[in-house]
Amino acid sequence: MSTPNQNIDIHDEENYDPTVWVPKAHTHGTKDIWLKFWILLGLTVIDVAFYFLMAPSMARNIIFIALGVVKAVYIVGTFMHMKHEKLSLATMIILPMFFIIFFLVWMMYEGNFWGTF
Amino acid sequence: MSTQTISKSNTWKGGNSPFNVSYGKLMMWIFLLSDAFTFSSLLIGYGAIRYSFPSTPIEQIEELELSFAENVQAKFANGADAHHGEFFIPALRDAGVFSESQWPSPDLVFNHFPFAHGLHLPLIFVSLMTLILILSSVTMVLGVEAGQRGDKNGVTKWMFWTIVGGFAFLGCQAWEWTNFITAGATPWANPYGPPTFAALFFLVTGFHGFHVFSGVVLNIVIFINNINGTYERRGHYEMVEKVGLYWHFVDLVWVFVFTFFYLI
Repeated sequence: MSTPNQNIDIHDEENYDPTVWVPKAHTHGTKDIWLKFWILLGLTVIDVAFYFLMAPSMARNIIFIALGVVKAVYIVGTFMHMKHEKLSLATMIILPMFFIIFFLVWMMYEGNFWGTF
Repeated sequence: MSTQTISKSNTWKGGNSPFNVSYGKLMMWIFLLSDAFTFSSLLIGYGAIRYSFPSTPIEQIEELELSFAENVQAKFANGADAHHGEFFIPALRDAGVFSESQWPSPDLVFNHFPFAHGLHLPLIFVSLMTLILILSSVTMVLGVEAGQRGDKNGVTKWMFWTIVGGFAFLGCQAWEWTNFITAGATPWANPYGPPTFAALFFLVTGFHGFHVFSGVVLNIVIFINNINGTYERRGHYEMVEKVGLYWHFVDLVWVFVFTFFYLI
């Protein structure tokens, strides 16, 4: 393995070299991480509660998908650090997923009518 | 290397990182987006196929759950396991609960728990698997946080627990598959109902499980590199963050696999 060139500053904004450049790392602490863990655990418990207390229906399915999206927001936002990234990056990654969620619900509903035309 | 000074006033004119992330991290995000499309196509297909079959009527499930309670008492009375093995599936097939023409309720398929033979415990084991994966995601992000502070021993400690969590999840997955396979399920046959159910279960949980396996391998690589001081010499722990992104993505996919296969 080659030793890194000591003359290159990996954080240098003025002499930007895309092969080595990384932004300066800074921590956001662990408090938020544990808070999000308890929220995710709580949401999973709510999932299980809905499963046993509510009769199966398309409305219940949409509740499960909505809870899944809320969990996704916490995982992507906090664990994957997306809430601290630039808005342009977050938009590029998250916007396509809205179409996916729409398509998930749509095709589930559509499946009801397969073979019944 | 060029040393010309480039104006930073225009984000998209070169000479800087428009997204303010390194090249590797940007590529990891784009890979994860494409991987999300792959998993979405599988889950969209699952949703459509699952609802092209009628569901198991709720009355049938409730009736069965009452008889499970009696079976547990019968088991302790005569030592026979009424829930498992030769009795359970043929009896439910005869009753018309498991048939090729209706989608089996996951309640009645995935209702086992280790060391609790004969008990009807739907959703408990898979909730445990979800907890394991969320916990290993937390230990991963704590490892990333340690890396941001340049704390080499912290990274070692949290990466270790992340790897343990990954193996625990894979073990649970193997146990779940073993139960399903020993009941007679294959990608083309399913004693609980339509063969498509088993085919989709093996395809989607298998694809996810392989992602978990790859993630564990990557985590081990990071763990060993960190012990060897690779990141300390490099001056930053961004590799931990990049592999962390992948690991959180695997957790995120599980949230939706759990939703679709066990709740819906």
